[in-house]
Amino acid sequence: MKLEDYKQVFAAVGLVGVLLFATPALGLVVHLPSGQKFSELWVLGSGHMAEDYPFNVRENESYLVYLGVDNHLSSSAYYEVIVKFANQSESLPDTTAGVPSSLPGLYEYRVFLQDGQSWEQPLTFSFSQVSAAQNRSVVGGLRVNGVTLSVEKPEVWDDGNGGYFYEVFMELWIYNVASDAFQFHNRFVGLWLNVTAS
Amino acid sequence: MKGLLRQRAKSLAWLLLVLIVAGLLSYGSPCAKGADDASGSVGNADAAVRQAFNAALDAERAGANVSGLIVRLNEAGAVLVEAEVALGDGNSSEAASKAGQCVGIAESVRSEADALKTSALDGAQTVFWMYLTFSVVGIAVFVAVLALVWRRFKRDHVEKTLSMKPEVAHNEA
Repeated sequence: MKLEDYKQVFAAVGLVGVLLFATPALGLVVHLPSGQKFSELWVLGSGHMAEDYPFNVRENESYLVYLGVDNHLSSSAYYEVIVKFANQSESLPDTTAGVPSSLPGLYEYRVFLQDGQSWEQPLTFSFSQVSAAQNRSVVGGLRVNGVTLSVEKPEVWDDGNGGYFYEVFMELWIYNVASDAFQFHNRFVGLWLNVTAS
Repeated sequence: MKGLLRQRAKSLAWLLLVLIVAGLLSYGSPCAKGADDASGSVGNADAAVRQAFNAALDAERAGANVSGLIVRLNEAGAVLVEAEVALGDGNSSEAASKAGQCVGIAESVRSEADALKTSALDGAQTVFWMYLTFSVVGIAVFVAVLALVWRRFKRDHVEKTLSMKPEVAHNEA
């Protein structure tokens, strides 16, 4: 091996060494891009599984599901989960256009999560003052987590599916620091329910 | 004389009546006022929680561990929901009380977040100078040592090459 060849080996070793020693300082100024940022919203049945969801529900009977939120936004986030109630003719959120349902929120959860953290809470609900006559049903009250709300929601008999169908759904909203306001986070989960009087 | 006194008493009664009606109109009913106050308190609590979250987020960006703050913010959020539910039920005193409790938690979170941010920024500055010093000194020492090794290696290599004896090759053919 010639001296010139050794010189090249020394130069290469020198370069690698310099890079190794520079790594801590470079780490302070160079920030590698993080992975995809997103949030998750889910609803589970009473056994904490994606099964046994309530469907045929009766007046004055209580039902339990679990709501969950996951934060993968690389920073802490302030979420709002808003519970809404609709009949088949009312608007649901449009995730393609990023528009929430225009229906009023009936109950809400306020959740703070660090990056990588999960939150899960029970959601119990029951219906009251359900009446049905002449192919028309009205749900008078909805009780969510012990809070009774007057809803007065009418629905007509669904011939195709054979029932009076309503949807309890949950929208995920997130607090936007820049605008100092909550904005729809383009995620929602819902439960289709065939509500019958007792 | 009696007639004059009666007339004055009548005027006084009218005046009192007008004052009472005017007072009621300007202040509204005590119930509505209580609801307005409670609504304002819940609004203030909502704003306080948002400000506390902003402070916690700033602290997190500065490198502080905010897990304790997040736990307390969740506590404040739960109390705020209770205040909103009480307000919806028309229970103004309960709503105002919960809102006050929420503001208390939010303000303590905010002040703690500010302290954590300052501490984290100081720590980050120390770490920055430590890393920078390590890199600069490390590179300088490494390059100097490598240069010394190279000079020694080069000298040894030249000496070794010069001390070599020429080989005589025999041509059998």
